[in-house]
Amino acid sequence: MEDYIYDTDDPIVALATAWSESALAVIRTSGRGSVELFSRVFSNSRELKKSLGFTLHYGYIVDQNRKKRIDQVTAAVYRAPKSYTGQESVEIFCHGSLPGIELIITLLKDVGFREAGPGEFTMRAFLNGKMDLSQAEAVAEIVQSKSRQAHSLALNRLSGGVFDRIDTIKKKLVDLMSIIEVQLDYPDDEIGGDTAVPSDSVLHAIEELETLIDTYRVGRIFHEGVVVAFAGGTNAGKSSLFNLFLKEDRSIVSEINGTTRDYIESWISINGIPVRLFDTAGLRNADHPVELEGIRRSEEIIKNAAVVLYVIDGSVGMTDEDLKVFQEKGKGNEYMFIWNKIDESDKTVPRGVFPVSAVTGKGFSDLEKAISSGLTGLEISGSELMIDSLRQRELLERAVAALKGVKKSLANKVSLDAVALDLKDGLDALGEITGEVSSEDILNNIFSGFCVGK
Amino acid sequence: MDYDVIVIGGGHAGIEASLAVSRLGFSTLMITQSLDAIGRLSCNPAIGGLSKGNIVREVDALGGEMARLIDATMIQYRTLNKRKGPAVQAPRAQADKFLYNRLAMDTLGRQANLVLFQDTVVEILVNTSGRDVSGVLTERGNRINAKAVIMTTGTFMDGRVFIGEYQASSGRLGEPAALGLGDSLRGMGFVLGRMKTGTPARVAASSLNFDLMEEQPGDSKMLPFSFGKNSIDRPSVPCFITFTNEKTHTIISKNMHRSPLYSGEIIGNGPRYCPSLEDKVVRFPDRNRHQIFVEPEGIGSQEMYLNGISTSLPEDVQEAFLRTIPGLEDVRIMRPGYAVEYDYMDPTQLYPSLETKKISGLFVAGQTNGTSGYEEAACQGLMAGINAALKLQSKDPLILSRDLAYTGVLIDDLVTLGTEEPYRMFTSRAEYRLNLRHDSADIRLVPLGYRIGLQSEEVFDRLNKKIEGIEEIKALLASRYMKSSDLDSAPEGFSRHLGKKFGQILKNPDVNIDQLSKLEPRIEEYPREWISHSELDIKYEGYIIRQMKQVERFNKMEKKRIPRDFDYDLVEGISSESREKLKKIKPCSIGQASRISGVRNSDIAVLMVMLKRSNRNEE
Repeated sequence: MEDYIYDTDDPIVALATAWSESALAVIRTSGRGSVELFSRVFSNSRELKKSLGFTLHYGYIVDQNRKKRIDQVTAAVYRAPKSYTGQESVEIFCHGSLPGIELIITLLKDVGFREAGPGEFTMRAFLNGKMDLSQAEAVAEIVQSKSRQAHSLALNRLSGGVFDRIDTIKKKLVDLMSIIEVQLDYPDDEIGGDTAVPSDSVLHAIEELETLIDTYRVGRIFHEGVVVAFAGGTNAGKSSLFNLFLKEDRSIVSEINGTTRDYIESWISINGIPVRLFDTAGLRNADHPVELEGIRRSEEIIKNAAVVLYVIDGSVGMTDEDLKVFQEKGKGNEYMFIWNKIDESDKTVPRGVFPVSAVTGKGFSDLEKAISSGLTGLEISGSELMIDSLRQRELLERAVAALKGVKKSLANKVSLDAVALDLKDGLDALGEITGEVSSEDILNNIFSGFCVGK
Repeated sequence: MDYDVIVIGGGHAGIEASLAVSRLGFSTLMITQSLDAIGRLSCNPAIGGLSKGNIVREVDALGGEMARLIDATMIQYRTLNKRKGPAVQAPRAQADKFLYNRLAMDTLGRQANLVLFQDTVVEILVNTSGRDVSGVLTERGNRINAKAVIMTTGTFMDGRVFIGEYQASSGRLGEPAALGLGDSLRGMGFVLGRMKTGTPARVAASSLNFDLMEEQPGDSKMLPFSFGKNSIDRPSVPCFITFTNEKTHTIISKNMHRSPLYSGEIIGNGPRYCPSLEDKVVRFPDRNRHQIFVEPEGIGSQEMYLNGISTSLPEDVQEAFLRTIPGLEDVRIMRPGYAVEYDYMDPTQLYPSLETKKISGLFVAGQTNGTSGYEEAACQGLMAGINAALKLQSKDPLILSRDLAYTGVLIDDLVTLGTEEPYRMFTSRAEYRLNLRHDSADIRLVPLGYRIGLQSEEVFDRLNKKIEGIEEIKALLASRYMKSSDLDSAPEGFSRHLGKKFGQILKNPDVNIDQLSKLEPRIEEYPREWISHSELDIKYEGYIIRQMKQVERFNKMEKKRIPRDFDYDLVEGISSESREKLKKIKPCSIGQASRISGVRNSDIAVLMVMLKRSNRNEE
């Protein structure tokens, strides 16, 4: 298991506020070069770097690769030793959306920050003399309880199925490692020549791990919810359907076009998946500036939604606008088309469109099922294997990267001692999830599986 | 005071320990049960092997003797695993075991400050406080005083030899065990356990039909283990390979009840990496044959060693199963195979200096600590000798870290984790093995040997010249471009390297330094060894840099020292399991503490906080 190094000044990052949706969040960094590293993702970097400490800087977090602004933030600069940890430090005050926070932390890690271990900031503060001696015991307790908490969290989050799956892959890699190590630990003539390293089992492990990584999206959806938005022409019945989902009369439903001028959002649960459901202003030509603004915002929400429920007025049939959208989006997974008002008309429902009635509720449960399986890409049941923590995903990705290194080295006929280095990295990563693999474990495996020794 | 230091035992640990102490200027007494048995190769007649060969070279770099002994007595040499990467290549040599033993005796006999004496130690003496060693008491009643005692008793402490139903109190077949010493140590409160190891039969060469075996020659060129030597001029003789078969296995299976291993007579753990033939037959029933290396024990000797089939079956069974093996149909056994069970000291009772935690001035090294192998014993003996001398000089002990030497890995594993079976070194035990190449042992350790006083100025200067030379070669390779005029004498396909630097070209797996040095005569002016060292450094640069980063982190934790008298009972908030383990092991550093099995990361963090606090209180 990777040792937590509690006394270094390498740059670390962690979310300082609770991991939940909120108005504001604070991301804290500490360590050598924190200001310079942070400046690489900050729009106002020149001013930031000049700071002598205790200054606030306004600007954007920028994804340099995609040339994209991620969030509007203020950043506080601290210079050593005048900070919480006694080290150079930047604190970032950002918006409290979970995907946004995650993206910022990912960007910071890309430029060289490491995710902090449990209690690592406090530990550094103590080691740098930022706390008096009487606080030492308290620090110890904090470090302990945090790591215990982190430990139990990690375990609770990992369902038995995922644990077993990762552990099975790990065991296969231990076997692979044994095949390599036995050839490194014994000369050719004692083990009857070379044993080929089965590269297909490396490929297989990579595939399995990648499958697991893909479940992260699904796991995350369960964990944090997902944005679903209504779209469609005015008066198609979006708000009525929205209310049906809410099972409460929240948005204003009227026969007059354009009642929903802005958008309305609510948290609901569809087959256990937390969903942020948005009812948007109808898409139509409007000239009132307030309506125009509402439409602009609606378009923004629709663009960012994981699933768009496009509602068609079944009593009218497809309008030209409906047809255009249907032709454009009908083949993809992002849009689901709903044929509303089947109680009012018996027009033939086109293929690939869900017939429902917001008034009678007919077809509604089928729609719910279709939405949830559309969201997860899987049939939803409680026993599906999913990973849902960023840490797990990172470790699995590290393992995959290491195994790809192994694959490449084997293909290039790199010598086995170097191959072993990559494989060890992969095993260490999986070991952090399901338990460390020591050199003694490998030797045990060798002695039980190979008849070796003069 | 009669002597500064007493070394008990004349095996491979005892040799290094007594030479190191006496060479550092202390009056030394080696007590052995048999002066004729000094440096005897009790098991296979070979020195070196994977990771073990590295250890021999480490011993040499620090100023030990083993490399010089084998260089002068080898009768076959091979570099193992040439194809598997430099980190795991190592030299091995067959030894003329009679010559080896005689040269060891001769070397010790000529050493200034060193007195050899034949007797058997039965008791370790301590001063009135009971905490400092004061000397030894022997079987014949000699009471000899010393400031430090180094115990290297090998398999002799209450040793018991087994051959089928036959049992005898012996440390080696035909040599009496050392009785009483184990009880004396137990009486002092030390924890001792039992371990087992075994050897195969030695058979007469004249009774073998070598035509039915495969000949296994050595490398055409013998290379020295010692960094002080450039070449070896010794005769080279071949080994032979043959195999057991199903008939052999049937005989063994039928007679299994007569093996002391399976009848329950032997309680000690044997080495799993070196199982007896009985074990191989039982544990791997699918294997229809097992390999045997037939190795000469010396030039001018009839004895051949049957490596790979150690056994403790009765002599009649041994003869019967040997005769089923091709080439051994008319075999005559000269010495039967046997198992030996002996007392070992739980090595977690030692500091990494190999001094016991209980008795100051008492050091333990070699097989007594639960290891196996001549090389493992030698490096411990050397370190115990060095640390006993440093103690008498009131200096800090020399602890080799895990990133610096296999010797360091070995001792750290022993004193931190203990061992359940005879501990043998494997390359996979070293997490930084790319740094522990055998050809770099001098760069790693000669400066330390020089600082301690075991290496001369001349050796140190020679090392510095080598380091400079290697840097020059690397600089040359880094600056030299592949020119079109090179292509005439370059191997086929080298045109794709045009315009690239030699250092870059060398990183291709299919390019070697010889191909490049042919194009650049300035390279060939350097010694062969330096050139290949540079080649490996360049080829593995990426991996080495990666490893160095890990080493950097590792060293940070190693440098956080924990005082010997640190009171773990004062540390609140750590688990009781961790506390008990920390109290037992008394780690010297946070790094060592973190390697104790079952001590949690969070407990280590708490410990660091407390350490910082107690340091501040002292300030």
